[in-house]
Amino acid sequence: MAAEVSEGRPGWTRHIARHAGIAAGVLAVIIVVALLAPVFSPYDPIAQPDIIGLKSVAPSLSHPFGTDSFSRDVLSRCIYGARISLSVAALATTIAITLGTFYGAVAGYVGGAVDAAMMRFVDALLAIPRVLLLIAILALWNGLPLWLLIVVLGVTGWFGLSRMVRAQVLSLREMDFVTAARAVGASGPRILIRHILPNVLPTIIVAATLGIGHVIILEAGLSYLGLGVQPPSASWGSIIQDGADQIGSAWWISLFPGLLIVTTAIACNSLGDAIRSAFDPREGAVTMAEIDS
Amino acid sequence: MNKAAVKGNIDIRGERPRAKAPGRSPRPPLGLLGIVLLAAVSGCGRESGRNPTTGIGGGTLVISTASDADALFPPLIVSTQGREVAEQIFEPLANVGDSLNVFGDAGFIPTLADSWKWAPDSLSIAFHLNPNARWHDGKPVRARDVQFTISLCKNPELAAPIAPLLSDIDSVSVADSLTPVFWFHRRSAQEFYDAANVALIVPEHVYGAIPVAQLAASPVLRHPVGSGRFEFRRWVPNATIEIVSNRNHYRSPARLDRVIWTIAPGDFGAASTRFLAGEADLFAAIRSSMLPQIAKSESLRLIAYPGFKFGYMVFNMRDPANPKQQNPLFKSATIRRALTMAVDRASVVRNVFDSLAIPSIGPTVRAMATSDTTIPQIAYDPQRAMQLLDSLGWHAGANGIRTRSGKQLSFTIMVPSSSMDRQKLAVLLQDQFKRVGVKVGIVSVEPNVFEQQQYAHNFDAAIETWNADPSPGGLRESWGSLAAHTERSKNYGDYSDATFDVELDSALSASSQPVARTLYSRAFRTLIGDAPAIWLFEPRNMIGVQKRFHVAALRADAWWAHLADWYVPADQQTARDRAGVAERVPVTDSTVAARSK
Amino acid sequence: MAESRGIVGTIVSRLAQSIVVIAIVTTIVFVLIHIAPGDPFASAMDNPNVTEAVRARWRANYGLDQPLFQQYLRYLTNVARGDFGWSFSMHRPVLDVLKDALPNTLLLAGTALVLGFAGGIGVAVFQAMRPGSRRDRALGATSMFFYAMPDFWLALMMMLIFAYWLPVFPVAGSIDPVMHEYMAPLAAFADRIRHLVLPAVTLALLSGAAVARYQRAELLRVLPDDYVRTARAKGLSERRVMLVHVLRNALIPTVSLLGLSLPVLFTGAVFIERVFAWPGMGWVILGGVATRDYPLVTAGVIVAAITVTLGSLLADILYVVVDPRIRGR
Repeated sequence: MAAEVSEGRPGWTRHIARHAGIAAGVLAVIIVVALLAPVFSPYDPIAQPDIIGLKSVAPSLSHPFGTDSFSRDVLSRCIYGARISLSVAALATTIAITLGTFYGAVAGYVGGAVDAAMMRFVDALLAIPRVLLLIAILALWNGLPLWLLIVVLGVTGWFGLSRMVRAQVLSLREMDFVTAARAVGASGPRILIRHILPNVLPTIIVAATLGIGHVIILEAGLSYLGLGVQPPSASWGSIIQDGADQIGSAWWISLFPGLLIVTTAIACNSLGDAIRSAFDPREGAVTMAEIDS
Repeated sequence: MNKAAVKGNIDIRGERPRAKAPGRSPRPPLGLLGIVLLAAVSGCGRESGRNPTTGIGGGTLVISTASDADALFPPLIVSTQGREVAEQIFEPLANVGDSLNVFGDAGFIPTLADSWKWAPDSLSIAFHLNPNARWHDGKPVRARDVQFTISLCKNPELAAPIAPLLSDIDSVSVADSLTPVFWFHRRSAQEFYDAANVALIVPEHVYGAIPVAQLAASPVLRHPVGSGRFEFRRWVPNATIEIVSNRNHYRSPARLDRVIWTIAPGDFGAASTRFLAGEADLFAAIRSSMLPQIAKSESLRLIAYPGFKFGYMVFNMRDPANPKQQNPLFKSATIRRALTMAVDRASVVRNVFDSLAIPSIGPTVRAMATSDTTIPQIAYDPQRAMQLLDSLGWHAGANGIRTRSGKQLSFTIMVPSSSMDRQKLAVLLQDQFKRVGVKVGIVSVEPNVFEQQQYAHNFDAAIETWNADPSPGGLRESWGSLAAHTERSKNYGDYSDATFDVELDSALSASSQPVARTLYSRAFRTLIGDAPAIWLFEPRNMIGVQKRFHVAALRADAWWAHLADWYVPADQQTARDRAGVAERVPVTDSTVAARSK
Repeated sequence: MAESRGIVGTIVSRLAQSIVVIAIVTTIVFVLIHIAPGDPFASAMDNPNVTEAVRARWRANYGLDQPLFQQYLRYLTNVARGDFGWSFSMHRPVLDVLKDALPNTLLLAGTALVLGFAGGIGVAVFQAMRPGSRRDRALGATSMFFYAMPDFWLALMMMLIFAYWLPVFPVAGSIDPVMHEYMAPLAAFADRIRHLVLPAVTLALLSGAAVARYQRAELLRVLPDDYVRTARAKGLSERRVMLVHVLRNALIPTVSLLGLSLPVLFTGAVFIERVFAWPGMGWVILGGVATRDYPLVTAGVIVAAITVTLGSLLADILYVVVDPRIRGR
C-alpha cells in the first residue's frame, strides 16, 4: 500500500526523532527478548505439560497469553516464534537488498539497451503480484525447508528496490565526482563501489527497514495458508494459524501473535520513515507501493 | 482380491475428504446385525408413510460441507462427498438393508428391481425391474440400462473405481426389456450384493452416446439423470449442489422437498460455522472443538451412529533407506512395545477428539461381532518404557535424547497434510516420545504423496486410518505375511509373523461365529502383543443436525442412506424450508421432456 | 507540439511497454508452473485402478507429455483464440471459472477502493486542518496501526468480533447459499450487501490507512505554498482554503495512487477472500493451487498480472492528464 510521509517542516523533525527513538527502543526490546528467549519465556515452547487439563486455557496469571490446544504456553511460543519471524525477515530482506542493489546498479551504470532490457524484465516481475507468485511457488513445491523459504522470499523481493537504485545510479553517473573518477582512470566496478553506492546507501537502509516489517507480515500470511514455516518450527504467523480454526472458542491463540506482528511492523515503518526524513526529505523517497511489489 | 478394504484418509473430521472409497459403499461387514441395529435406530424419530399434517413436502435440508463432489456420475465417483449426493439421485437394483448383511439376499430392499430369481447353480441371477420405474426425464428404466451400466463400469478404458468389485460378474444379458440377467464367473457368498448393490444404474440413452474416452470431461455428466427419489437440480462447483424431491417417483417421492449442499472447499472453519450459525442444518464432520457450542445451542443436536473406522500409528518394518532390508530400529518387538508404553493413548485421544473417539483396541472396532474387547492392551507405562529402552542399550544422552553407539534414537512420523486430526496426533505423540528420550520429527505430506510413500515403504512411522473389515481379504491384506512382499500391498508396515498368519487363517476359516470369535481373539492377542502399530483411536461417528428434522436411521456405512425419509413437521418449518418450494411447478412428463431438450 | 506528443506519446509508449511486460509475465508464469513437480492427475493416484498407463493417456490427452516449449506454443495459440484450457478441479473451462470469479473480486475491491479512498482522504483532511493536535495524532496512530496490520489477521479479528461475538454478519460466502435464489430483488440486494460488509470494510480499513497517511503528508506539503497563502490572504475560510485550494493540488499524487492500488487491493483480497470464503480470483487461485490445477492457476496469475499492468498504466495516464507539469517531460 502506497504511502509516504515526509513532513518538510522543522517542527516535525523533533516529533519524528522522538517517534524513531520509541520505535528503535521497541525493536531493540523485541530483538533482545528473542535472542534471550530461554531467559524470558516462562515455559518450554514445545512442552505439552497437561494435554487434558491445560488444553486451550484462556489467559491467566500463570499463562498471560493462554495455552493452545496442545496445552503449550502461547507466550513462550510467541517469544520463540519471534526468533523465526525476525530472522526469516532479516535474512530474506538481506538477500533482497543485495540482489536489488546489484541488479539496479548494473542496469543504471551500464545503461543503454542492456538497461532497457533489464528494466522491462523487472517491470514484468513487478507486474506479477508477489503474494500470488509466492503462493504458487510454495504450494507447487510443497513443504520447502526453512532456508529455501527464506531464499524464495528474498528472491521475490528485490524488484522494486532495483528500480529505485537504478534511477539513482543513473543520475549519480553523470555527477562531477563520478566523471572525475572516470577521468582518473578508475574501473567501472571500482567507481560503482567506491563512489556511487555510498550515495545510494540511505535508500537501501530505508528500504531494508521497511522491507523487514513487510516480510514479517508476508511470511505470517504464507504461514497462515500453511505454506510458510513448517512445524515443528513456529513463527508468529504459524501460531496464528494454530488458532485460526478455533477462533470462535480460543481467540487468544491468534490474537497475541498478531498484535506482536503489528507492533513490530509499526516499529519498522516508523523507523524507516524517520531514517528517510533524516537523510533527505524528498530525494530518496521510498514509497511502500514500490517496496510492496 | 480385496473387495472392501477401505484404507486411507477417512477421518472423522472435515478434512478435504479425498477419501479413497472405491466407488460405492465399502462392503459392509457381516455379522453385525444386533449391534448395528441397536445403535442405528438411536436418535431417529421414525414414522411411516408421508407427513400426515401437510400436503406440502417435508422441508429443506441444508448440508454444510468442506468438500465438493468429485463427480456425480456414479461409475466415476471416488470421493465420499460424491457418493453422498449421487446415492440420492441414482439407485441400485436392490439396496443392502440396515443389517448390512452381504450374504445371499437376506435383508435386501427391492429398489429398481422388484423381484429376483436365482439360478439353481447360483451362477446367474435374473432381476425383474419395477415396470413403473422411470428416469428423471420420463423414459422407462429398461434391462438394457442395467446391461449398459455394468459393461461401462467394467470397461478398462473408463477405469471405474468400482470395477474390481464387479470382477466376479462375467456379463449381463437381457432376457426381456424388464429382465436383466447377471452371469458370474464363479460362485461367491456375496455375489448378490455385487450384482444388486455395488453399481448404481445409469440410463443408456443419456450416457451411451458419448465415447467412453471422452466421458470423463463431458458436460453431460454435470447434469446427472437418474431414477432416485431425488432428482438433480443444480451444481455450482465448489459452492452449491441442489437436489429436489422427485414428485413422480415410482415408489415414493422423497419427503424432503429439497436438499442443498453448501460447500466451503477446504475450509473447515467456514463450513462448521455455517452449521453453528444456523445457515445450514446439518454437518457431518463434527470436531471436538464444536462440542461446547453445540451443547449450548437450543436448536442443535448430535446423533451418534456406528462406524467401523479406527486409526493407528504403524511402524515400518522395512528400512526406508534400503527397502530390501529390515528396519534396523523397528525390527525389534521390544522397542515397538516400549514406544507403545510411552504413549498415554487415553489422554492423546481425549485431547484431539474429546468425547468423539475412544482408544482403539487393535486392528478392529468394538462393534465387530468377532472383537474381543477383553484382550489385554500394552498399558501406558513410561517408566517401564524407559527401562526397556535402557535394556536395549539406548541410554539418555546430554540433551535428553537416547543414543546407542553414537546414534540418536529418532524417527519421523508421516501424516497427510489434509488431515488435521492426524497432524494433531503426531504433535502429541512427538511430545510423548520425547518424554522417554526419543526424538521424533513430523513429516506432513500431500495425501497423494502419503499414499505413494506408503506403497513404497518409504517412511519410518505413519498415522493411518482404516475401515474395519472382517472379510477374508481385509486382515490378511493389511497384516498378513503374504501381502507383505507384493506390489501395492496394503500391508504398509510390511509386518510379517508366522504365528499370526496361522492363527488368522484358522480364524478366517471358522465355521461358526463363537468359534471364529475365539480364534480371532487368539490371533489378535498375538498381533497386539507384537505391537506392529500403536492402536490409537476409534471414532464415534456423529452428525450434528437442527432439532426440527425428523431423522431416519443412520446406516453405519452411509449416514445418508435414508435421507429421502427425513422431514420437518409442518408446524416446525421455517421460511427456508418453504422458500421457492410452492412456486415449483410439479414435474410432469411434459415439463421433463421440455427440460431435457 | 511538444505538449500533444507528450500525452499521446507517453500513452502509446507505455501501452507498448505493457504488452511486452504481459508477454514476459505469461512466459515466466507458464514455465514456473509447468516445471513444478506433480501433475493435475495426482489426486487420482490414490485410486489403485487408475494405472500409470491410464494416467499417461490422460496426460497425453491434455498434451502434458509434450516438450515444454511446444506446450507453451500451443498454450499461446489457444489463449489467442480465447481458450484458457480446462480446469481439472472445477470441471469447467477455465474461462467460465474466471468469468464467475472476476466480478466478485471487482465488486469487493471496487467497494473497498471507494470506501478506502473516501475515508482515507476524509481522515487526512480532518488531520491536516489541525496538524499536531491530539486528534491528529490519535488518527495518525490509528492509521499507522491498521497500516501495519497483516490483512488475514485483521480479517480473522473482524470475523471474531462481528460474526462470533456479535453475530450481525455472515461468516462466509458472497450470498446466502440457499435463500438467495428465492429472494425478491430488494432482499437479494440486501443479502449481497450483508455478505459484502465484513470483507469490504476489512480491505477498506487497510487501504484507507495507507491513503490517509499518504494524503495527509501531501496536504501538509502543499499548505505552505504561495497560492494557499494568497487564498488565505483573500480572507477565505480555512475550511474553504483546505477543501478547494489545498486538496485539489494535493489530490494529484493520490490519483495516481488509485491506479497503483488496484493490484495491491487484488493481492490483499487473496487473504481476505480466503478468510471470508469470498468466491473471487484469489479464492479460485488458492483452490487451484491446492489441487494442482495448472490451467486455472496459470490463467489466474496471468489475469492478475494484466490487472496490475493496466493499473499502473492507468496510474501513469491519470498522472499525465491531471498534472500539467509532467506533460512533455
